Amino acid sequence: METLLLTQVINVVYEVLILAIIVLGLAVVMGLLNVLNIAHGEFIMIGAYTAYVVQKSGLPYVLAVPAAAGVCGIIGLVVERFLIRPLRYEPFETLLATWGLGLLLRKLVELGFGRGYRSVEIPVVGSLNFFGEAYPTYRLVLMGVSASVLAGLFLWYRRAPTGARIRAMVGNPVLAEAVGIKTRELARNTFVTGTAMAGIAGVMIAPLTPVEPFMGLAFIVNSFFALVVGGMGTVAGLFAGAGIIGGLQSVLSATVNPTTAYLAMLFLSILFLWQRPRGLFPRP
Amino acid sequence: MTGGYFEIEKISGGYGSGRVVRDVSISIGRGEVVCLLGRNGVGKSTLAKLACGFLRPLSGAVRLAGHEITGARPSENLAVGLTYCPQERVVFDDLTVAENLSLMRANRRLDDLDRYFQVFPRLSERLRQHAGTLSGGEKKLLSLVRGLAEGSDMIVIDEPTEGVQFENVVRMAELIVARKNAGASFLVVEQNLTLVDRIADRIVIMDHGEVVLSAAASEVDREDILTHLTV
Amino acid sequence: MASFLVRNALILAALVLLPLFLGEFWAYQLGLYFLYGLAALGIGLTWGQVGILPLGQGMFVAIAAYLTAYGLFGFGTSPMAYLVLPAASVVVAVFGFAFAALVFRGRFEQGPSFSLMTLALTLAAFQIANGWSSVTGGFNGLRNIPGLPGLDGFLDLYHLIAVVLALSIAGVDYLVRAPIGVLWRAIADNERRLAFLGYDVALLKAAGFAVACGLAGLAGALYAPQQNLVTPDLAGFAFSGDLVIFAAVGGRATVLGPVIGALVVGVLSAELRDRFPWWEIVIALFFILVVLRLPGGLMTLFAPLRRLSLGRNAVPVPLEAPSKPRTASPLSVAFEDVRVRVGDVTILDGLSVRTGEEAVLCVIGPNGAGKTSALNVMTGVLPKRGGRIVIDGLDVLRPEPATVAGKGVARKFQTPSVFPKLTIDENLAVALWAGRWRLFDLLRPSLFGWTSPLLEEMRGRFQFLEQGGKLASALSHGERQLLELTMALITEPRLLLLDEPCAGLSHEETSAVIEAIQWARQYLNLRIIIIEHDMELVRRLADRVVVLHQGRFLADGSIEEVQHNPEVQAVYVGGSR
Repeated sequence: METLLLTQVINVVYEVLILAIIVLGLAVVMGLLNVLNIAHGEFIMIGAYTAYVVQKSGLPYVLAVPAAAGVCGIIGLVVERFLIRPLRYEPFETLLATWGLGLLLRKLVELGFGRGYRSVEIPVVGSLNFFGEAYPTYRLVLMGVSASVLAGLFLWYRRAPTGARIRAMVGNPVLAEAVGIKTRELARNTFVTGTAMAGIAGVMIAPLTPVEPFMGLAFIVNSFFALVVGGMGTVAGLFAGAGIIGGLQSVLSATVNPTTAYLAMLFLSILFLWQRPRGLFPRP
Repeated sequence: MTGGYFEIEKISGGYGSGRVVRDVSISIGRGEVVCLLGRNGVGKSTLAKLACGFLRPLSGAVRLAGHEITGARPSENLAVGLTYCPQERVVFDDLTVAENLSLMRANRRLDDLDRYFQVFPRLSERLRQHAGTLSGGEKKLLSLVRGLAEGSDMIVIDEPTEGVQFENVVRMAELIVARKNAGASFLVVEQNLTLVDRIADRIVIMDHGEVVLSAAASEVDREDILTHLTV
Repeated sequence: MASFLVRNALILAALVLLPLFLGEFWAYQLGLYFLYGLAALGIGLTWGQVGILPLGQGMFVAIAAYLTAYGLFGFGTSPMAYLVLPAASVVVAVFGFAFAALVFRGRFEQGPSFSLMTLALTLAAFQIANGWSSVTGGFNGLRNIPGLPGLDGFLDLYHLIAVVLALSIAGVDYLVRAPIGVLWRAIADNERRLAFLGYDVALLKAAGFAVACGLAGLAGALYAPQQNLVTPDLAGFAFSGDLVIFAAVGGRATVLGPVIGALVVGVLSAELRDRFPWWEIVIALFFILVVLRLPGGLMTLFAPLRRLSLGRNAVPVPLEAPSKPRTASPLSVAFEDVRVRVGDVTILDGLSVRTGEEAVLCVIGPNGAGKTSALNVMTGVLPKRGGRIVIDGLDVLRPEPATVAGKGVARKFQTPSVFPKLTIDENLAVALWAGRWRLFDLLRPSLFGWTSPLLEEMRGRFQFLEQGGKLASALSHGERQLLELTMALITEPRLLLLDEPCAGLSHEETSAVIEAIQWARQYLNLRIIIIEHDMELVRRLADRVVVLHQGRFLADGSIEEVQHNPEVQAVYVGGSR
């Protein structure tokens, strides 16, 4: 019984960490830059397809990480130049434009790969014995990688001048330009970082889910509402959002059923959008 | 008047297509402090923003050390030695005081700022605090220190003393004069005569978007200033 | 009015006669796209006019379709079945109204979060429709829904749908041209200004959203008998998204645009989707293009045609607006120890000041003295942390812009706040209607003819107001200041708050403003509070001057008394304190 409980706890931690990794790219783009990138899920999808292609070509799976970051980064660069910047990073306008972008990316991938599911093989097979319970090794690897990536980013964001400069630019763009921050370039690089991170998230989850053109929709819904609940632009908000939405989904899915979990997330999000649109830990 | 270090030439502009500033020319020599006075809403801050690249002039030109910088981005202007301290939202509220000062420093060290901290010990006491928790006057001190520490030869400051107590206004004046003696030029938008009296080489007064008086500080009649500024 | 009838009769005839040329299959296909057009019509109204983008209209289509399905199962061939259609539409409209009114209450410019809420709602509705099999039939939906009694074949139903669509287009056409349409566009333009004129913005927005929901409901109600099938897909994310794309591609700013968008995109998609795999990419690219460059959508292509049409609005008959009740005394205001803090900054630090016998009170003080903040806290822009604000003898606990305006307070902002996308005449009309309209007036085009002696006086003083068809955005800064002043005055307030009314004005314009204010104080018997730095203006207007400093009262009296007050001198030139 105890081990079962332990497995449950690990499952919840796993769900939360995976969601945090999935949200991360959007947290950068939406949380820091206020761009409501509805096509975030499609960047994850493209990352997953990149992983599929890398694996099919017989290359080591690890190579998919830089490949996906590159592909999604380049798409992000083009999108920033021709969609986001002309719309002056306005939240509402970019929401509409990225809506169209999502449609476009889905259809392009569908044309290239077809509508059918592709499966990516789990790169690390086997399971580890965990207090008498077998637990898939890849999941543990994922948890480890996610936790270290998040921790690393957290530290970098706190310490490196870039993190402070992004915060400075978003909080006070006029003064940022005055103290010598090239705000246009910084915003572009931040956006591209966000899309590249989405690509990497796609590589990480590709072996666990059917890879298909519409897979991004589920991710965008979860990520979006995780940020709505947690709050934009803060590390605490990212963790709180991923924790609450991921934890709620995981616990309710296990105890009641996935539909109830999904509905609970939606109604919680509506409640937040209505009464606390800035979330639990908003940027000051 | 020609051949000044920082030259604003027949500049017009404002927000959008509005013309808040009309054909204003100001020339500032090397090591000269020009104080720009006038009531609220006459276009002083707009002029400062036009000169520093925050607003695009409808007409006119800005030159720094003989090079035209009209329409350049503020971050580019800083790179060629033009510093600007805004009137409003003068610091990054969600960064700490230390981060505000070290933001653009590669090594993030603040050793060379000791002389400022000696003048304003309040700032060094609060280095770890978020700048948003400072009072309005303390934010202005932080903003001035940030601007002076950038090491530019041309410094434009918009209303540095708003909410600053008398003793600190005097200290601000001392820091500005010290930098002036080291060769820097200043354009200071100001209403507070405590500061103006201590720093100004020349006084320019604006009204309704135009320059109505420009003269050496020693030659300006105090009554003249008062009629332009007060009730 | 005549052109309105001609235009809409033509649309009706075209829609009804279309199948004569196309045959039965197309009657079925077109009927379906007409229904999509009906729902998109509503999106065009809320998005293009009111400025709120609903992302989940599919949910309202779905609810009405499920309701109608049950109604049709229940009534069978009884003619009562026809009542089900409007009933389903009304139910979802009421639901939409209640939801929107609740969400919008007490909040301004909540655009994106409202859109996301509607998106979340439709995602939830999809899950519920899928999961609640006993009622909705689950994934497979409700099948074999009976058709409407007395209608045989697709052609009959097509005609019903065509008539409903044509009437709905006419209805929306009427609404956007009626006074309420102007108010909706005013909301999209400058919500706060409208609230400061005393309008209940939340209710107006909810009304617009309710109309859209009603249209989505009609579409759903007709969908059930047309398809004989209702599935959860109607509440799906994709369908709601398609509706938005129809509205955007067709042109959200026009009445017909969304309908044309639905027809063009829908019909072409049906034809080309299978034959031409790049088709949906073309749609996506066009949608992106619309967002980036072509907010008018396909209707932009027809814009030159519209200039040729006879659809010019007739000049309304001038009509005296209902007069406002005049009270003998101007409004009094008292601040008692009012405190305001924003974050850590104290803005008002126990401000106590009250109006007296004077008609014109000028408030002066250096930057950051709390002058504008005092007006803000009084009109509900800033929350107070302590003290009392007494307006007209009543302690106002939580002031809100619309309620304060309802007491007879008009406010002119520091930077001119007008409706830039409305014409001069529309700007003036919105101000003139404020506090004068009664129920259903907002549907009467005759309101456009309203005028008042005060408005005519102002038109005489400020000549540019005569160019009524000009957009306010085309006015100069000074003209916008004068327009806003006129708008504030023609509401015939008992208290007028002016925040630097002459900022950015030329000398001639300044004189014109001073003369207009002096005339109005005689004509209206009102009180005016002016925040001003221009001492020339203070000297000419003020009966009494109040000086604020650091959020507190410093001194008051006549202009001379204040001028000679050493304390006042000191704060202005920053002497030692």
